[in-house]
Amino acid sequence: MTLPAAASLAPLLAAFLLLATPALAQREPPPPAPPFAGPALAAELGQDRIAVDTSFSGADLLVFGATDRLLGPAGDNVVILGLGPPRDVVVRRRVRWLGLWVNGPSARFQEVPNYYAVAATAPVAGLLEEAARRERRLGLDMLTARLAGPRDPLFRAALVDLKRGSRLWNEEESPVEVSGGRLFHARLPLPSTIATGDYIVQVLLVRNNRIVARQELPFRVDRVGATARIADVARSLPFAYGLACIALAAFAGWLGSVIFRRG
Amino acid sequence: MPVYLPIAEMSVDALLLLGIGLGVGWLSGLFGVGGGFLLTPLLILIGIPAPVAVASGANQTLGASVSGLIAQWRRGNVDARMGCVLLVAGLAGSGAGTQLFVLLKRLGQIDLAVSLFYVVVLGTVGALMVRESLRAIIRRRRALPARTHQHSWLHGLPFKMRFRQSRLYISVIPPMMIGFGIGVLSSIMGVGGGFMLVPAMIYLLGMPTTTTIGTSLFQVTFVSANVTLLQALQTGSVDVVLTLLLLTGGVAGAQFGAAMGTKLRGEETRALLGLLVLLVAAGLLWGLLATPASLYLMGPAT
Repeated sequence: MTLPAAASLAPLLAAFLLLATPALAQREPPPPAPPFAGPALAAELGQDRIAVDTSFSGADLLVFGATDRLLGPAGDNVVILGLGPPRDVVVRRRVRWLGLWVNGPSARFQEVPNYYAVAATAPVAGLLEEAARRERRLGLDMLTARLAGPRDPLFRAALVDLKRGSRLWNEEESPVEVSGGRLFHARLPLPSTIATGDYIVQVLLVRNNRIVARQELPFRVDRVGATARIADVARSLPFAYGLACIALAAFAGWLGSVIFRRG
Repeated sequence: MPVYLPIAEMSVDALLLLGIGLGVGWLSGLFGVGGGFLLTPLLILIGIPAPVAVASGANQTLGASVSGLIAQWRRGNVDARMGCVLLVAGLAGSGAGTQLFVLLKRLGQIDLAVSLFYVVVLGTVGALMVRESLRAIIRRRRALPARTHQHSWLHGLPFKMRFRQSRLYISVIPPMMIGFGIGVLSSIMGVGGGFMLVPAMIYLLGMPTTTTIGTSLFQVTFVSANVTLLQALQTGSVDVVLTLLLLTGGVAGAQFGAAMGTKLRGEETRALLGLLVLLVAAGLLWGLLATPASLYLMGPAT
Protein backbone atom coordinates (compact mmCIF):
# COMPACT_ATOMS: atom_id res chain seq x y z
CA MET A 1 0.00 0.00 0.00
CA THR A 2 3.06 2.29 0.19
CA LEU A 3 3.78 4.16 -3.01
CA PRO A 4 7.37 5.33 -3.62
CA ALA A 5 6.14 8.89 -4.17
CA ALA A 6 4.23 8.91 -0.89
CA ALA A 7 7.26 7.40 0.82
CA SER A 8 9.54 10.24 -0.25
CA LEU A 9 6.93 12.86 0.51
CA ALA A 10 6.11 11.57 3.95
CA PRO A 11 9.01 13.06 5.95
CA LEU A 12 8.40 16.43 4.30
CA LEU A 13 4.69 16.24 5.05
CA ALA A 14 5.35 15.14 8.59
CA ALA A 15 7.72 18.07 9.17
CA PHE A 16 5.21 20.45 7.65
CA LEU A 17 2.40 19.12 9.81
CA LEU A 18 4.47 19.47 12.95
CA LEU A 19 5.21 23.11 12.22
CA ALA A 20 1.76 24.01 10.94
CA THR A 21 -0.47 21.99 13.25
CA PRO A 22 -2.14 24.86 15.17
CA ALA A 23 -2.85 26.81 12.00
CA LEU A 24 -4.00 23.72 10.13
CA ALA A 25 -6.34 22.68 12.90
CA GLN A 26 -8.10 26.02 12.71
CA ARG A 27 -8.48 26.01 8.97
CA GLU A 28 -9.96 22.53 8.44
CA PRO A 29 -11.18 19.73 10.74
CA PRO A 30 -8.65 16.92 11.13
CA PRO A 31 -9.45 13.95 8.89
CA PRO A 32 -10.16 10.70 10.79
CA ALA A 33 -7.23 8.84 9.22
CA PRO A 34 -4.69 10.92 7.32
CA PRO A 35 -4.04 9.31 3.96
CA PHE A 36 -0.34 8.92 4.46
CA ALA A 37 0.88 5.70 5.94
CA GLY A 38 4.49 5.78 4.96
CA PRO A 39 7.67 4.84 6.72
CA ALA A 40 6.55 6.77 9.80
CA LEU A 41 5.49 3.35 11.07
CA ALA A 42 6.55 -0.18 10.16
CA ALA A 43 4.99 -3.08 12.07
CA GLU A 44 4.96 -6.85 11.72
CA LEU A 45 3.48 -9.89 13.46
CA GLY A 46 5.63 -12.62 14.98
CA GLN A 47 3.52 -15.17 13.08
CA ASP A 48 0.66 -14.81 10.62
CA ARG A 49 -0.89 -18.14 11.58
CA ILE A 50 -1.72 -19.51 15.01
CA ALA A 51 -1.76 -23.30 14.77
CA VAL A 52 -4.24 -25.00 17.11
CA ASP A 53 -3.06 -28.58 17.67
CA THR A 54 -3.82 -31.13 20.40
CA SER A 55 -1.35 -29.50 22.78
CA PHE A 56 -2.60 -25.92 22.21
CA SER A 57 -3.21 -24.16 25.50
CA GLY A 58 -3.32 -20.55 24.38
CA ALA A 59 -0.60 -18.40 22.84
CA ASP A 60 0.87 -14.91 22.84
CA LEU A 61 0.94 -13.10 19.51
CA LEU A 62 4.03 -10.91 19.16
CA VAL A 63 3.46 -7.55 17.46
CA PHE A 64 6.60 -5.52 16.81
CA GLY A 65 7.82 -2.62 14.72
CA ALA A 66 9.63 0.68 14.53
CA THR A 67 8.76 4.34 14.10
CA ASP A 68 10.67 7.19 12.48
CA ARG A 69 10.48 9.44 15.54
CA LEU A 70 11.08 8.86 19.20
CA LEU A 71 8.35 7.13 21.16
CA GLY A 72 7.58 8.25 24.69
CA PRO A 73 5.62 10.65 26.83
CA ALA A 74 6.93 13.69 24.96
CA GLY A 75 6.90 12.11 21.52
CA ASP A 76 4.82 9.69 19.48
CA ASN A 77 2.73 6.84 20.82
CA VAL A 78 1.73 3.47 19.41
CA VAL A 79 -1.69 1.85 19.92
CA ILE A 80 -2.25 -1.82 18.99
CA LEU A 81 -5.74 -3.21 18.47
CA GLY A 82 -6.52 -6.92 17.87
CA LEU A 83 -9.94 -7.96 16.58
CA GLY A 84 -11.43 -11.44 16.04
CA PRO A 85 -14.14 -12.60 13.64
CA PRO A 86 -17.60 -11.15 14.47
CA ARG A 87 -20.34 -13.40 15.88
CA ASP A 88 -23.88 -12.80 17.14
CA VAL A 89 -24.11 -13.25 20.91
CA VAL A 90 -27.07 -13.62 23.27
CA VAL A 91 -26.75 -12.43 26.88
CA ARG A 92 -29.36 -13.77 29.30
CA ARG A 93 -30.23 -12.50 32.75
CA ARG A 94 -31.15 -15.03 35.43
CA VAL A 95 -34.24 -14.16 37.42
CA ARG A 96 -35.90 -15.71 40.44
CA TRP A 97 -39.09 -17.63 39.69
CA LEU A 98 -40.87 -19.50 42.52
CA GLY A 99 -37.57 -19.57 44.41
CA LEU A 100 -35.65 -21.02 41.45
CA TRP A 101 -33.12 -19.21 39.29
CA VAL A 102 -34.24 -19.41 35.69
CA ASN A 103 -33.21 -17.73 32.44
CA GLY A 104 -35.11 -14.48 32.15
CA PRO A 105 -34.89 -11.64 29.64
CA SER A 106 -32.20 -11.78 26.99
CA ALA A 107 -30.43 -9.35 24.69
CA ARG A 108 -29.02 -10.20 21.29
CA PHE A 109 -25.93 -8.35 20.10
CA GLN A 110 -24.91 -8.49 16.47
CA GLU A 111 -21.40 -8.68 15.03
CA VAL A 112 -19.64 -8.91 18.38
CA PRO A 113 -15.90 -9.41 17.85
CA ASN A 114 -15.07 -12.83 19.21
CA TYR A 115 -11.68 -11.49 20.29
CA TYR A 116 -10.63 -8.00 21.33
CA ALA A 117 -7.38 -6.66 22.70
CA VAL A 118 -5.94 -3.17 23.08
CA ALA A 119 -2.40 -2.27 24.11
CA ALA A 120 -0.62 1.08 23.94
CA THR A 121 2.54 2.86 25.03
CA ALA A 122 0.40 5.10 27.28
CA PRO A 123 -3.26 5.01 28.44
CA VAL A 124 -5.36 5.38 25.29
CA ALA A 125 -7.86 7.71 26.95
CA GLY A 126 -5.10 10.33 27.29
CA LEU A 127 -3.84 9.92 23.73
CA LEU A 128 -6.93 10.42 21.58
CA GLU A 129 -10.18 12.35 21.67
CA GLU A 130 -13.35 10.38 22.38
CA ALA A 131 -14.58 10.75 18.79
CA ALA A 132 -11.42 9.16 17.41
CA ARG A 133 -11.51 6.37 20.01
CA ARG A 134 -15.14 5.68 19.20
CA GLU A 135 -14.42 5.56 15.48
CA ARG A 136 -11.54 3.09 15.92
CA ARG A 137 -13.24 1.16 18.76
CA LEU A 138 -10.30 1.81 21.10
CA GLY A 139 -11.45 0.69 24.54
CA LEU A 140 -14.15 -1.75 25.61
CA ASP A 141 -16.60 1.08 26.42
CA MET A 142 -16.17 2.40 22.87
CA LEU A 143 -16.54 -1.10 21.42
CA THR A 144 -19.80 -1.88 23.22
CA ALA A 145 -21.22 1.60 22.57
CA ARG A 146 -21.06 0.83 18.85
CA LEU A 147 -22.56 -2.68 19.00
CA ALA A 148 -25.94 -3.22 17.35
CA GLY A 149 -28.44 -4.52 19.90
CA PRO A 150 -30.69 -3.46 22.79
CA ARG A 151 -29.64 -0.21 24.48
CA ASP A 152 -29.98 -1.56 28.06
CA PRO A 153 -26.62 -0.62 29.64
CA LEU A 154 -26.81 -3.53 32.11
CA PHE A 155 -26.67 -6.09 29.31
CA ARG A 156 -23.76 -4.26 27.67
CA ALA A 157 -21.87 -4.18 30.96
CA ALA A 158 -22.63 -7.89 31.48
CA LEU A 159 -21.31 -8.70 28.00
CA VAL A 160 -18.02 -6.94 28.81
CA ASP A 161 -17.74 -8.73 32.17
CA LEU A 162 -18.42 -12.16 30.67
CA LYS A 163 -16.02 -11.66 27.75
CA ARG A 164 -13.30 -10.36 30.06
CA GLY A 165 -13.93 -13.25 32.44
CA SER A 166 -13.36 -15.73 29.61
CA ARG A 167 -10.14 -13.81 28.73
CA LEU A 168 -11.37 -13.29 25.16
CA TRP A 169 -11.51 -9.52 25.60
CA ASN A 170 -8.81 -7.51 27.27
CA GLU A 171 -7.93 -3.89 27.47
CA GLU A 172 -4.51 -2.38 28.20
CA GLU A 173 -3.48 -5.26 30.45
CA SER A 174 0.19 -4.79 29.65
CA PRO A 175 1.69 -1.77 27.87
CA VAL A 176 3.50 -1.73 24.53
CA GLU A 177 7.18 -1.97 25.43
CA VAL A 178 9.60 0.48 23.84
CA SER A 179 13.31 -0.13 23.42
CA GLY A 180 15.87 2.27 22.04
CA GLY A 181 13.25 4.97 21.62
CA ARG A 182 11.99 3.74 18.24
CA LEU A 183 11.46 -0.02 18.51
CA PHE A 184 8.26 -1.28 20.05
CA HIS A 185 6.76 -4.68 20.77
CA ALA A 186 3.70 -6.09 22.51
CA ARG A 187 2.22 -9.51 23.16
CA LEU A 188 -1.50 -10.02 22.63
CA PRO A 189 -2.73 -12.93 24.82
CA LEU A 190 -4.81 -15.52 22.93
CA PRO A 191 -6.61 -17.91 25.35
CA SER A 192 -7.15 -21.60 24.54
CA THR A 193 -10.86 -21.00 23.86
CA ILE A 194 -10.01 -18.75 20.89
CA ALA A 195 -12.19 -19.40 17.84
CA THR A 196 -10.72 -20.27 14.47
CA GLY A 197 -10.99 -17.73 11.67
CA ASP A 198 -9.53 -14.50 10.30
CA TYR A 199 -8.17 -11.95 12.75
CA ILE A 200 -6.75 -8.50 12.24
CA VAL A 201 -4.23 -6.44 14.17
CA GLN A 202 -4.25 -2.66 13.65
CA VAL A 203 -1.16 -0.70 14.64
CA LEU A 204 -1.77 3.03 15.00
CA LEU A 205 0.82 5.77 15.34
CA VAL A 206 -0.52 8.65 17.43
CA ARG A 207 1.04 12.11 17.37
CA ASN A 208 -0.49 15.17 19.03
CA ASN A 209 -3.83 13.47 19.68
CA ARG A 210 -4.13 12.38 16.06
CA ILE A 211 -3.62 9.13 14.23
CA VAL A 212 -0.89 9.88 11.71
CA ALA A 213 -0.17 6.38 10.43
CA ARG A 214 -1.92 3.06 10.45
CA GLN A 215 -1.06 -0.47 9.45
CA GLU A 216 -3.36 -3.51 9.23
CA LEU A 217 -1.82 -6.93 9.79
CA PRO A 218 -4.09 -9.95 9.23
CA PHE A 219 -3.53 -13.34 10.83
CA ARG A 220 -5.42 -16.61 10.96
CA VAL A 221 -6.23 -19.05 13.75
CA ASP A 222 -6.34 -22.55 12.25
CA ARG A 223 -6.71 -26.06 13.54
CA VAL A 224 -3.88 -28.32 12.39
CA GLY A 225 -2.97 -32.01 12.55
CA ALA A 226 -5.23 -34.46 14.38
CA THR A 227 -7.38 -31.65 15.81
CA ALA A 228 -8.17 -30.37 12.30
CA ARG A 229 -8.88 -33.86 10.95
CA ILE A 230 -11.24 -34.76 13.82
CA ALA A 231 -13.17 -31.51 13.52
CA ASP A 232 -13.40 -31.87 9.71
CA VAL A 233 -14.65 -35.46 9.81
CA ALA A 234 -17.17 -34.64 12.56
CA ARG A 235 -18.60 -31.89 10.37
CA SER A 236 -18.48 -33.47 6.91
CA LEU A 237 -19.17 -37.15 7.73
CA PRO A 238 -21.26 -37.08 10.95
CA PHE A 239 -22.67 -40.60 10.49
CA ALA A 240 -19.27 -42.21 9.94
CA TYR A 241 -17.84 -40.10 12.80
CA GLY A 242 -20.62 -41.25 15.15
CA LEU A 243 -20.03 -44.90 14.23
CA ALA A 244 -16.29 -44.44 14.72
CA CYS A 245 -16.88 -42.91 18.17
CA ILE A 246 -19.07 -45.89 19.12
CA ALA A 247 -16.51 -48.39 17.82
CA LEU A 248 -13.61 -46.63 19.56
CA ALA A 249 -15.44 -46.41 22.88
CA ALA A 250 -16.54 -50.05 22.69
CA PHE A 251 -12.99 -51.11 21.76
CA ALA A 252 -11.52 -49.15 24.68
CA GLY A 253 -14.01 -50.81 27.02
CA TRP A 254 -13.22 -54.27 25.68
CA LEU A 255 -9.47 -53.62 25.81
CA GLY A 256 -9.76 -52.56 29.43
CA SER A 257 -11.59 -55.71 30.43
CA VAL A 258 -8.99 -57.89 28.65
CA ILE A 259 -6.02 -56.11 30.24
CA PHE A 260 -7.53 -56.27 33.70
CA ARG A 261 -8.50 -59.93 33.46
CA ARG A 262 -4.88 -60.87 32.80
CA GLY A 263 -3.54 -58.50 35.41
CA MET B 1 -0.76 -31.58 31.12
CA PRO B 2 -3.11 -29.55 28.92
CA VAL B 3 -4.81 -31.14 25.92
CA TYR B 4 -6.89 -29.33 23.29
CA LEU B 5 -10.36 -30.77 22.66
CA PRO B 6 -11.20 -30.39 18.96
CA ILE B 7 -15.01 -30.27 19.25
CA ALA B 8 -15.30 -28.45 22.59
CA GLU B 9 -12.70 -25.98 21.20
CA MET B 10 -10.89 -25.55 24.48
CA SER B 11 -7.90 -26.81 26.42
CA VAL B 12 -8.37 -28.95 29.53
CA ASP B 13 -5.96 -30.68 31.91
CA ALA B 14 -5.69 -34.31 30.74
CA LEU B 15 -4.98 -35.59 34.28
CA LEU B 16 -8.21 -34.02 35.56
CA LEU B 17 -10.17 -35.86 32.85
CA LEU B 18 -8.40 -39.14 33.64
CA GLY B 19 -9.27 -38.69 37.33
CA ILE B 20 -12.92 -37.96 36.62
CA GLY B 21 -13.03 -40.99 34.32
CA LEU B 22 -11.50 -43.22 36.99
CA GLY B 23 -13.93 -42.12 39.70
CA VAL B 24 -17.04 -42.37 37.56
CA GLY B 25 -15.87 -45.69 36.05
CA TRP B 26 -15.36 -47.15 39.53
CA LEU B 27 -18.92 -46.22 40.55
CA SER B 28 -20.17 -47.55 37.23
CA GLY B 29 -18.64 -50.97 37.81
CA LEU B 30 -19.67 -51.05 41.46
CA PHE B 31 -23.32 -50.15 40.98
CA GLY B 32 -23.94 -51.25 37.40
CA VAL B 33 -24.87 -47.77 36.26
CA GLY B 34 -23.31 -45.91 33.35
CA GLY B 35 -22.51 -42.94 35.54
CA GLY B 36 -23.90 -40.41 33.07
CA PHE B 37 -25.96 -38.72 35.78
CA LEU B 38 -22.69 -37.96 37.58
CA LEU B 39 -20.40 -37.40 34.60
CA THR B 40 -22.46 -34.86 32.66
CA PRO B 41 -22.86 -32.39 35.57
CA LEU B 42 -19.16 -32.83 36.43
CA LEU B 43 -18.06 -32.00 32.88
CA ILE B 44 -20.26 -28.91 32.82
CA LEU B 45 -18.78 -27.92 36.19
CA ILE B 46 -15.21 -27.91 34.78
CA GLY B 47 -16.33 -25.65 31.92
CA ILE B 48 -17.11 -28.04 29.04
CA PRO B 49 -20.01 -26.61 26.96
CA ALA B 50 -23.26 -28.41 27.91
CA PRO B 51 -24.03 -30.00 24.49
CA VAL B 52 -20.49 -31.43 24.29
CA ALA B 53 -20.74 -32.66 27.89
CA VAL B 54 -24.03 -34.48 27.22
CA ALA B 55 -22.94 -36.03 23.91
CA SER B 56 -19.44 -37.05 25.00
CA GLY B 57 -20.81 -38.25 28.34
CA ALA B 58 -23.09 -40.65 26.47
CA ASN B 59 -20.14 -41.87 24.41
CA GLN B 60 -17.99 -42.43 27.53
CA THR B 61 -20.92 -44.21 29.21
CA LEU B 62 -20.95 -46.61 26.26
CA GLY B 63 -17.29 -47.54 26.70
CA ALA B 64 -17.52 -47.86 30.47
CA SER B 65 -20.66 -50.02 30.15
CA VAL B 66 -19.02 -52.36 27.62
CA SER B 67 -16.19 -52.87 30.06
CA GLY B 68 -18.58 -53.52 32.96
CA LEU B 69 -20.86 -55.64 30.78
CA ILE B 70 -18.03 -58.00 29.83
CA ALA B 71 -17.03 -58.35 33.50
CA GLN B 72 -20.64 -59.12 34.50
CA TRP B 73 -21.20 -61.44 31.52
CA ARG B 74 -18.27 -63.61 32.65
CA ARG B 75 -19.86 -63.92 36.06
CA GLY B 76 -23.13 -65.00 34.39
CA ASN B 77 -25.02 -61.98 35.70
CA VAL B 78 -26.61 -60.79 32.44
CA ASP B 79 -30.23 -61.69 31.66
CA ALA B 80 -29.98 -61.12 27.88
CA ARG B 81 -33.66 -61.87 27.34
CA MET B 82 -34.80 -59.23 29.83
CA GLY B 83 -32.17 -56.87 28.39
CA CYS B 84 -33.60 -57.23 24.86
CA VAL B 85 -37.17 -56.59 26.04
CA LEU B 86 -36.05 -53.45 27.89
CA LEU B 87 -33.90 -52.32 24.99
CA VAL B 88 -36.61 -52.49 22.31
CA ALA B 89 -38.95 -50.46 24.48
CA GLY B 90 -36.09 -48.16 25.50
CA LEU B 91 -35.20 -47.26 21.91
CA ALA B 92 -38.86 -46.45 21.18
CA GLY B 93 -38.96 -44.35 24.35
CA SER B 94 -35.83 -42.39 23.48
CA GLY B 95 -37.33 -41.58 20.07
CA ALA B 96 -40.42 -40.17 21.82
CA GLY B 97 -38.22 -38.40 24.37
CA THR B 98 -36.29 -36.62 21.61
CA GLN B 99 -39.59 -35.23 20.30
CA LEU B 100 -40.47 -34.02 23.80
CA PHE B 101 -37.03 -32.41 24.05
CA VAL B 102 -37.63 -30.49 20.82
CA LEU B 103 -41.04 -29.37 22.12
CA LEU B 104 -39.59 -28.16 25.44
CA LYS B 105 -36.86 -26.32 23.57
CA ARG B 106 -39.45 -24.53 21.45
CA LEU B 107 -41.26 -23.43 24.63
CA GLY B 108 -37.96 -22.02 25.99
CA GLN B 109 -36.60 -22.93 29.43
CA ILE B 110 -35.09 -26.24 28.35
CA ASP B 111 -32.32 -25.65 30.93
CA LEU B 112 -34.88 -25.35 33.72
CA ALA B 113 -36.81 -28.40 32.50
CA VAL B 114 -33.64 -30.53 32.42
CA SER B 115 -32.55 -29.36 35.88
CA LEU B 116 -35.99 -29.98 37.36
CA PHE B 117 -36.12 -33.43 35.74
CA TYR B 118 -32.76 -34.22 37.34
CA VAL B 119 -33.80 -33.01 40.80
CA VAL B 120 -37.20 -34.72 40.79
CA VAL B 121 -36.12 -38.02 39.22
CA LEU B 122 -32.84 -38.36 41.11
CA GLY B 123 -34.44 -37.23 44.37
CA THR B 124 -37.30 -39.71 44.11
CA VAL B 125 -35.17 -42.64 42.98
CA GLY B 126 -32.51 -41.95 45.59
CA ALA B 127 -34.99 -41.60 48.47
CA LEU B 128 -36.82 -44.80 47.51
CA MET B 129 -33.59 -46.76 47.25
CA VAL B 130 -32.21 -45.57 50.57
CA ARG B 131 -35.48 -46.29 52.35
CA GLU B 132 -35.89 -49.77 50.92
CA SER B 133 -32.30 -50.86 51.41
CA LEU B 134 -32.20 -49.59 55.02
CA ARG B 135 -35.33 -51.62 55.73
CA ALA B 136 -33.73 -54.69 54.18
CA ILE B 137 -30.58 -54.22 56.27
CA ILE B 138 -32.65 -53.86 59.47
CA ARG B 139 -34.66 -56.93 58.57
CA ARG B 140 -31.47 -58.94 58.10
CA ARG B 141 -30.03 -57.73 61.41
CA ARG B 142 -33.20 -58.89 63.18
CA ALA B 143 -32.90 -62.19 61.29
CA LEU B 144 -36.42 -61.98 59.93
CA PRO B 145 -37.23 -64.31 57.03
CA ALA B 146 -36.64 -62.45 53.73
CA ARG B 147 -39.41 -62.59 51.18
CA THR B 148 -38.15 -63.49 47.71
CA HIS B 149 -40.69 -61.34 45.93
CA GLN B 150 -44.19 -60.10 46.43
CA HIS B 151 -47.13 -60.84 44.17
CA SER B 152 -49.08 -57.84 42.95
CA TRP B 153 -51.46 -56.92 40.14
CA LEU B 154 -48.39 -56.76 37.87
CA HIS B 155 -48.27 -60.54 37.95
CA GLY B 156 -51.80 -60.92 36.64
CA LEU B 157 -51.03 -59.36 33.25
CA PRO B 158 -51.01 -61.44 30.02
CA PHE B 159 -48.07 -62.21 27.63
CA LYS B 160 -46.09 -64.03 30.26
CA MET B 161 -42.50 -64.85 29.51
CA ARG B 162 -39.93 -66.91 31.38
CA PHE B 163 -36.71 -65.07 32.33
CA ARG B 164 -34.64 -68.01 33.46
CA GLN B 165 -31.56 -66.09 34.57
CA SER B 166 -33.63 -63.86 36.85
CA ARG B 167 -35.80 -66.76 38.03
CA LEU B 168 -38.93 -64.86 36.96
CA TYR B 169 -42.09 -65.79 35.07
CA ILE B 170 -43.86 -62.48 34.42
CA SER B 171 -45.73 -60.57 31.74
CA VAL B 172 -43.58 -58.61 29.23
CA ILE B 173 -45.81 -55.52 29.71
CA PRO B 174 -44.17 -54.15 32.91
CA PRO B 175 -40.59 -54.41 31.54
CA MET B 176 -41.78 -52.82 28.28
CA MET B 177 -43.35 -49.91 30.18
CA ILE B 178 -40.24 -49.45 32.30
CA GLY B 179 -37.95 -49.55 29.25
CA PHE B 180 -40.08 -46.99 27.41
CA GLY B 181 -40.36 -44.61 30.37
CA ILE B 182 -36.63 -44.71 31.01
CA GLY B 183 -35.97 -44.18 27.31
CA VAL B 184 -38.02 -40.96 27.45
CA LEU B 185 -36.28 -39.71 30.60
CA SER B 186 -32.80 -40.66 29.43
CA SER B 187 -33.05 -38.74 26.16
CA ILE B 188 -34.20 -35.60 28.00
CA MET B 189 -31.58 -35.87 30.73
CA GLY B 190 -28.83 -37.06 28.39
CA VAL B 191 -27.98 -40.13 30.47
CA GLY B 192 -28.07 -43.88 29.89
CA GLY B 193 -30.67 -44.41 32.60
CA GLY B 194 -28.98 -47.19 34.56
CA PHE B 195 -29.54 -45.47 37.91
CA MET B 196 -33.30 -45.57 37.25
CA LEU B 197 -33.26 -49.00 35.66
CA VAL B 198 -31.56 -50.81 38.54
CA PRO B 199 -34.16 -49.84 41.18
CA ALA B 200 -37.03 -50.32 38.71
CA MET B 201 -35.91 -53.88 38.01
CA ILE B 202 -35.48 -54.66 41.70
CA TYR B 203 -38.65 -53.09 43.09
CA LEU B 204 -41.10 -53.27 40.18
CA LEU B 205 -40.05 -56.52 38.53
CA GLY B 206 -38.63 -58.28 41.60
CA MET B 207 -35.37 -59.26 39.90
CA PRO B 208 -32.43 -60.35 42.09
CA THR B 209 -29.75 -57.63 42.54
CA THR B 210 -27.05 -59.82 40.95
CA THR B 211 -28.75 -59.98 37.54
CA THR B 212 -30.07 -56.38 37.62
CA ILE B 213 -26.57 -54.92 37.41
CA GLY B 214 -25.46 -56.97 34.42
CA THR B 215 -28.81 -56.55 32.65
CA SER B 216 -28.87 -52.80 33.22
CA LEU B 217 -25.35 -52.54 31.77
CA PHE B 218 -26.60 -54.47 28.73
CA GLN B 219 -29.40 -51.97 28.18
CA VAL B 220 -27.26 -48.89 28.93
CA THR B 221 -24.61 -50.01 26.42
CA PHE B 222 -27.05 -50.01 23.54
CA VAL B 223 -29.01 -46.93 24.58
CA SER B 224 -25.80 -44.88 24.91
CA ALA B 225 -24.62 -46.12 21.50
CA ASN B 226 -27.91 -44.86 20.07
CA VAL B 227 -27.57 -41.49 21.84
CA THR B 228 -23.97 -41.12 20.60
CA LEU B 229 -25.02 -41.68 17.00
CA LEU B 230 -28.04 -39.33 17.26
CA GLN B 231 -25.89 -36.61 18.86
CA ALA B 232 -23.16 -36.98 16.22
CA LEU B 233 -25.79 -36.60 13.49
CA GLN B 234 -27.97 -33.87 14.99
CA THR B 235 -25.70 -31.63 17.06
CA GLY B 236 -22.19 -32.73 16.02
CA SER B 237 -21.00 -32.30 19.59
CA VAL B 238 -19.40 -35.68 20.36
CA ASP B 239 -15.77 -34.96 21.27
CA VAL B 240 -13.84 -38.17 20.69
CA VAL B 241 -10.67 -36.88 22.38
CA LEU B 242 -12.64 -36.03 25.52
CA THR B 243 -14.35 -39.43 25.41
CA LEU B 244 -11.14 -41.41 25.05
CA LEU B 245 -9.44 -39.54 27.90
CA LEU B 246 -12.40 -40.18 30.19
CA LEU B 247 -12.47 -43.82 29.10
CA THR B 248 -8.78 -44.39 29.78
CA GLY B 249 -9.50 -43.74 33.44
CA GLY B 250 -12.99 -45.18 33.21
CA VAL B 251 -12.24 -48.73 32.05
CA ALA B 252 -9.70 -49.23 34.81
CA GLY B 253 -12.13 -47.87 37.38
CA ALA B 254 -14.98 -50.06 36.13
CA GLN B 255 -12.92 -53.23 36.65
CA PHE B 256 -12.01 -52.32 40.23
CA GLY B 257 -15.62 -51.35 40.88
CA ALA B 258 -17.02 -54.62 39.51
CA ALA B 259 -14.56 -56.67 41.61
CA MET B 260 -15.49 -54.70 44.71
CA GLY B 261 -19.22 -54.94 43.96
CA THR B 262 -19.15 -58.72 44.32
CA LYS B 263 -17.84 -58.34 47.87
CA LEU B 264 -20.64 -56.04 48.98
CA ARG B 265 -24.10 -57.26 49.93
CA GLY B 266 -26.99 -56.28 47.63
CA GLU B 267 -28.69 -54.06 50.23
CA GLU B 268 -25.49 -52.21 51.02
CA THR B 269 -24.74 -51.60 47.34
CA ARG B 270 -28.24 -50.23 46.88
CA ALA B 271 -28.04 -48.03 49.96
CA LEU B 272 -24.75 -46.53 48.76
CA LEU B 273 -26.06 -45.94 45.23
CA GLY B 274 -29.20 -44.38 46.69
CA LEU B 275 -27.12 -42.02 48.83
CA LEU B 276 -25.00 -41.03 45.85
CA VAL B 277 -28.07 -40.32 43.72
CA LEU B 278 -29.58 -38.24 46.54
CA LEU B 279 -26.34 -36.30 46.89
CA VAL B 280 -26.30 -35.39 43.19
CA ALA B 281 -29.97 -34.37 43.38
CA ALA B 282 -29.26 -32.15 46.40
CA GLY B 283 -26.30 -30.55 44.60
CA LEU B 284 -28.39 -29.76 41.53
CA LEU B 285 -31.24 -28.41 43.67
CA TRP B 286 -28.75 -26.14 45.42
CA GLY B 287 -27.66 -24.90 41.98
CA LEU B 288 -31.26 -23.90 41.23
CA LEU B 289 -31.88 -22.26 44.61
CA ALA B 290 -28.58 -20.53 45.41
CA THR B 291 -27.97 -17.03 44.11
CA PRO B 292 -25.60 -17.44 41.13
CA ALA B 293 -22.20 -15.75 41.21
CA SER B 294 -23.03 -14.00 37.95
CA LEU B 295 -26.58 -12.98 37.16
CA TYR B 296 -25.83 -13.02 33.47
CA LEU B 297 -24.74 -15.69 31.06
CA MET B 298 -23.65 -15.58 27.48
CA GLY B 299 -24.18 -17.92 24.56
CA PRO B 300 -23.98 -17.99 20.79
CA ALA B 301 -27.09 -16.67 19.05
CA THR B 302 -29.12 -19.41 17.40
